[in-house]
Amino acid sequence: MKFFIDELPVLFPYPRVYPEQYAYMCDLKRTLDAGGHCVLEMPSGTGKTVSLLSLIVAYQQFHPEMRKLIYCSRTMSEIEKALAELKGLMKYRTEQLGYEEEFRGLGLTSRKNLCLHPSVKREKSGTVVDARCRSLTAGFVKEKKERGEDVELCVYHENLDLLEPHNLIPPGVWTFDGMLKYGEQHKQCPYFTARRMMPFCNVIIYSYHYLLDPKIAERVSKELSKDCIVVFDEAHNIDNVCIESLSIDLTEDSLRKATRGVNNLDRKITEMKSTDAAKLQNEYAKLVEGLREAEEARDENAFMANPALPDDLLKEAVPGNIRRAEHFVAFLKRFIEYLKTRMKVLSVISETPPSFLSHLRDLTFIERKPLRFCAERLTSLVRTLELTNIEDYQPLQEVATFATLISTYETGFLLIIEPFESATATVPNPILHFTCLDAAIAIKPVFERFSSVIVTSGTMSPLDMYPRMLNFSCVVQESFTMTLTRRTFLPMIVDRGSDQNQVTSQFEHRNDPQVVRNFGNLLIEFCKLTPDGVVVFFPSYLYMESIISMWQGSGVLDEVWKYKLILVETPDAVETSLALETYRTACNNGRGAVLLCVARGKVSEGIDFDHHYGRTVLCMGVPYQYTESRILKARLEFLRETYRIKESDFLSFDAMRHAAQCLGRVIRGKDDYGVMVLADKRFGKKITQLPKWIQMALDGKNTKLSVDQAVGSAKAFLREMSVPWTRGQMEGTSTWSLEELETHQKKQKGMGVLGVEERRAEGRAVDVVMMERRETVEVTEVTEVDEFGGGEDMDALMGDMDA
Amino acid sequence: MSKAASRANGASTKRLAEDGDICPVCKSSRYLNPNMRFRVNPECYHRMCESCVDRIFSHGPAACPIAGCKRTLRRARFREQTFEDLKVEREVDIRKRVARVMNKTESDFETLRDYNNYLETVEEITWNLILKIDLEATEKRLRLWEEAQKAEVESINSTVSRRLHTATDTVDPQSDTARVILKKSGVQRKALGPSSANTPEPGAMDTGLKDTGFTFAGLKKRVAPEPEKPFDPYGGWNIEPQYYTVMDDYDVDFISGAKTDVHHLAGGYDIRDFYSRALCEAFSGFGVFVEEEVIARENQASGDVGVGTQTAATVADGGKEVNMDDIF
Repeated sequence: MKFFIDELPVLFPYPRVYPEQYAYMCDLKRTLDAGGHCVLEMPSGTGKTVSLLSLIVAYQQFHPEMRKLIYCSRTMSEIEKALAELKGLMKYRTEQLGYEEEFRGLGLTSRKNLCLHPSVKREKSGTVVDARCRSLTAGFVKEKKERGEDVELCVYHENLDLLEPHNLIPPGVWTFDGMLKYGEQHKQCPYFTARRMMPFCNVIIYSYHYLLDPKIAERVSKELSKDCIVVFDEAHNIDNVCIESLSIDLTEDSLRKATRGVNNLDRKITEMKSTDAAKLQNEYAKLVEGLREAEEARDENAFMANPALPDDLLKEAVPGNIRRAEHFVAFLKRFIEYLKTRMKVLSVISETPPSFLSHLRDLTFIERKPLRFCAERLTSLVRTLELTNIEDYQPLQEVATFATLISTYETGFLLIIEPFESATATVPNPILHFTCLDAAIAIKPVFERFSSVIVTSGTMSPLDMYPRMLNFSCVVQESFTMTLTRRTFLPMIVDRGSDQNQVTSQFEHRNDPQVVRNFGNLLIEFCKLTPDGVVVFFPSYLYMESIISMWQGSGVLDEVWKYKLILVETPDAVETSLALETYRTACNNGRGAVLLCVARGKVSEGIDFDHHYGRTVLCMGVPYQYTESRILKARLEFLRETYRIKESDFLSFDAMRHAAQCLGRVIRGKDDYGVMVLADKRFGKKITQLPKWIQMALDGKNTKLSVDQAVGSAKAFLREMSVPWTRGQMEGTSTWSLEELETHQKKQKGMGVLGVEERRAEGRAVDVVMMERRETVEVTEVTEVDEFGGGEDMDALMGDMDA
Repeated sequence: MSKAASRANGASTKRLAEDGDICPVCKSSRYLNPNMRFRVNPECYHRMCESCVDRIFSHGPAACPIAGCKRTLRRARFREQTFEDLKVEREVDIRKRVARVMNKTESDFETLRDYNNYLETVEEITWNLILKIDLEATEKRLRLWEEAQKAEVESINSTVSRRLHTATDTVDPQSDTARVILKKSGVQRKALGPSSANTPEPGAMDTGLKDTGFTFAGLKKRVAPEPEKPFDPYGGWNIEPQYYTVMDDYDVDFISGAKTDVHHLAGGYDIRDFYSRALCEAFSGFGVFVEEEVIARENQASGDVGVGTQTAATVADGGKEVNMDDIF
C-alpha cells in the first residue's frame, strides 16, 4: 500500500498496516527531519524491521541527498532476516513504481560466512579462515607475485581487481546467499565485494561490532559519511556490547604466549635485517615523519586494528624510543615482564590507570607516551615484517591494545587483578581484567559522527535509562504497544504458593523447602493446563541445577513427566541446540514439552518460541546479575558517581530487561497468544520497569496471585483463546487498510494534539494512570471504535468532533 | 654444577630448576625449604638463595660462587629480584642509570622531532650498554655528558649566586630589612629550580666549547632564571623622610629636663622616638598639594584608567613627581 506521511510518500509492502507501525514511522520521520537521535520501543512481532526499512528507504528516495542507512543488528539470523525484508520491499517498490531504482543494499559478515576459496572455506574456525584469507590476499603477497616469487593467491580476490572499482556487483539487494551465488558465477570474492562496495551502497546491514568495536570499526566503517542514518536494532543489550568491546582480560597463559610472540618478532627482525634491511629503514623513515603517512599505506587488508585513538595522536609522530623495530620489541618485552610481576600478587588489586602508569614508570621507565602508540606501532611493524600467521600474535596484540587503552583513558576504566578464580581456591590462577566501566566511551564516536542514530528494540524500558547510560540526548523517545482486538497475552505476577508461603529466588530463601516446593507446584500446574510448549527461565545455571536436583528428590519431576517432556539448557551450545530440536519435535507432535533454561543464556536472547512452541513462559525468580563480581561492583560504583544511577536502580533495571526479554520470547505476532508468569514476590514492586506493552496488559488484579489463583485465570484465558477467531476481526483496530489509515490521518489533522484515546489507537504507550481513567469510559469507547471500523460515515463523525 | 643436579634427580628436577625452585649453589629446593627466597646481585645477576648469601658473604666481599663467574660481590648489594626474566632485570637497572643522566623532557627541545631524535639516541645508548657494544666509549661519553650537565647546572647556580651578591651589594648594607628580604628571595629562587625560565642570555653559558659526550640538535640552552628583584613592601615608595633628617640629639631647653628624668627613663622611654615623632608631625603634609591630587583623582574618575595606572607605575618606580612624606 502507498500512503503519505506529511509530504513523504511511503510504499509499504503489505496491504494492511498496523497502527503502531504507522506511529512508529511517523516518529522515525520526525527524528530524521529533526536530525537527532531517538529511542523507540516496540514489541517484537509487530513488524519493526519492515516499517523501519520502508520508511527510511522512502526517505532516501524522496530526498535528493540520499542519506545512507547503516542497519546494525545482533545476530547473523537477524541480519539475514533484515536483508530478506529489504529485498521484498525493493521488489514491491519496483512493481509499484514501474521502474527499477538505482539502489544497492548489501550485508556484511565475517570472512567465514562469505568465503568461496575451495580450501579456505572448509576451515571450521573463524580466526583460521581470517588468517588464511589474509595470507592469500594481502598486498605484499601480490607484490611478491609480481616480483616473480612463487606464492599462492586467491583467484576470487584477484578477479575483483579486473572489475570497475565502484561497480563490483550490479545494483539491487543482495542477501548472503545471493552474494555467494553471484560470487561463484562470476568468480569473485563476496567478502571483498561487500567491503569495497560499502561506500557505494544505499543500505548496509551488518553486526553491531562493525560499528562499536573500535578495533574493527576503524577499518570497516571509516569511510561512512556524517549524514548516515544509523539504526541499532535489538539494542537492549547495547551497553554491554560497548563495554565488552573495550574490555580486555589477560591471563598468565596469554602473557606467556605474548612473550613467545615477541620473541618471534625479534627473530623475524633479525632475519629481515640480514635480508631486507631497506624495508625496515623505510618503515623507520616513515615513522619519523609521523603516523599519518604510515597510515596512508594501509589498506583494507590491514592485519591488526588499533583501539580508538584520539585524532591528535594519529597526527603525531611515534616517540623516538620505539621508532626502531628492535627498540620497540625490547619495549614490549619489558612491558610484558612488568605485567608478569604484577600478576604475582596474592590479594585482589583494583587500580586506576594513572596509578598503574606511575608504578610502571617507577619500575620499568616506560613513559605514558610511547605506551599510547603501542598498538599502532605493532600494526606497522607487523605490516613491515609481512607476517602472515597473524593468529600467533593475537595475545601480543591484546597486550598492545591494553597498553594503548590504559594510557589513553584516565577515567572510565579500571584494572582488576584477581589472583584466585574463586574465593575458596588455593592455587593461584591470576587474571587481569582491564574493564571498561563506561558504555558511553565506545559508542561516543558513533553518536558524535552520525547525525541520526536510532536505538530500537522490543524491550527498552525504562526508556530514559539508555540516554543516561550511553550519555546522549535524543529528540524522540517513544514506547509503542501492540494494538489488539482481544487480549492475546496474559501477564501475571505470582508472589505466593497455594500454601500462602512466599515464592522468591532471594538468596536467603531460595533453597527453603517450601519455596522449592511452591516453584515445583507452579511448574506442575502450568504443565497440566498448557496445551503445547512451556518455557521456564531461572536466574542462573547454578540455581537451576540445584532446584532440579531438589525437585528430583521430591518427585516434582516425575509429576511433570506425566504431562510434558523435560528438556534442559546447558552452557554447551551443541547440547542446547539438540535440546531445542527435541523440544520443537515434541511440540510439533502434540505432546508438548517443557524447556528449563537460564534467563541470561543463549535461549533467552536469540530463540523465538512462536505459536505452539511457547504457550506459557514462567520466569522463576528475578534474574539479577551475580552481584559479588568485582567488575560489576566497580561498574555500579562508576554509574553512581558519574551518571547518578543508583546501584539498586541499575541492578533492577538490568534484571527486568532480561525478564522482559524472556517474556517476549512467546509472543511473536498478533495472532500468537501465551501466558506470562513472573514468579517472585519482588516483581510486584518492579512493574514500572517492565516494557509499557506488558505493563498495559497487566491488570491490577493479576499482580498479587497465589499459584491456584494464577492457574484459575490462566485456565479462563486459555479457554477464551480457544474460541475460533479470524483475522478479519482485527481489521479496523489492530490493522488498517489504506482507507482506514487515511481516515485516521484526517482525524489527526483535525485534532492537533493527541489525546489518550488517539495515542492508544495508534499503539503508543500511555501511562498506567491514564489507563485507569480509561477503564471507566470503556463502554462508550467500544462503540466509538466500531464506528471507526466502518469508515463511511466519517465526515459526520468529524463534524461531531469539531463541534 | 647445574648439570650434576639434573643428572642426579632426572627430568622432573630439571624442570623444577628451570622454574627457579632450586638454588644453584646449595641445591636445596623449595620442596625441602618452603620459605626459600632468592637473591640477585646487580654485579653479575646470578641467583642464589638467601641462606647461601648469608653463608658466603657475611664475612665481607667474596667471589661469586657460580662457576665461571669471578666477580667480587658484596652482601649489601644483594636484593630481591623484581622481574622473572633476569635480562629484563638487568636492562631495567641500566635504564635506571641512564635515566638519571639523560633526563631531558619534551619542553627542553625546540621541536617534537628533536625530542624524538633525542629519545632515540638515549635508547641507542641504553642498547649499547645492555649489549655491551662499545662499552668503554659509551660509558665515557655518558660520564662526559653527566659532567657537562652538572657543570651547566653549577654554572647556572654560580651566576645566580653571583647575581645575588651583586644585588646585595647595590642595596645599602646598613638596611636590615633589605638583607632579610634578600635572604628570603634566595630561598624562593632555589625552590624554583634552574629550568623555569628559558630566555636566552649571552654569556650565561661558557661550557659550550667543551666535549659534552653528546650533542643534541634543537636542545634549548639551560638558562639561569632572571634574578628576582628584592621584595619591596611599599611598592617603590620612598619612605625616607625628605625634608628633614633626624639627628641624635637636639639641644632644646624644653626637653633637656625630660632627657634625664628618671621617671621617663624607667619606663624605657627613648628621647629619639620623641624626636622622630615630633619632626614627622611637623613636616607631614609638606609637598602634598591637595589641588593637584584632586585634579588627578578627577582624571582617574573620568575613566582614564590607563593614565592612572601609568602614574601609579611611575610612582612605583620611585619617580620624584609625587613626594610622599606622609607615611601616617
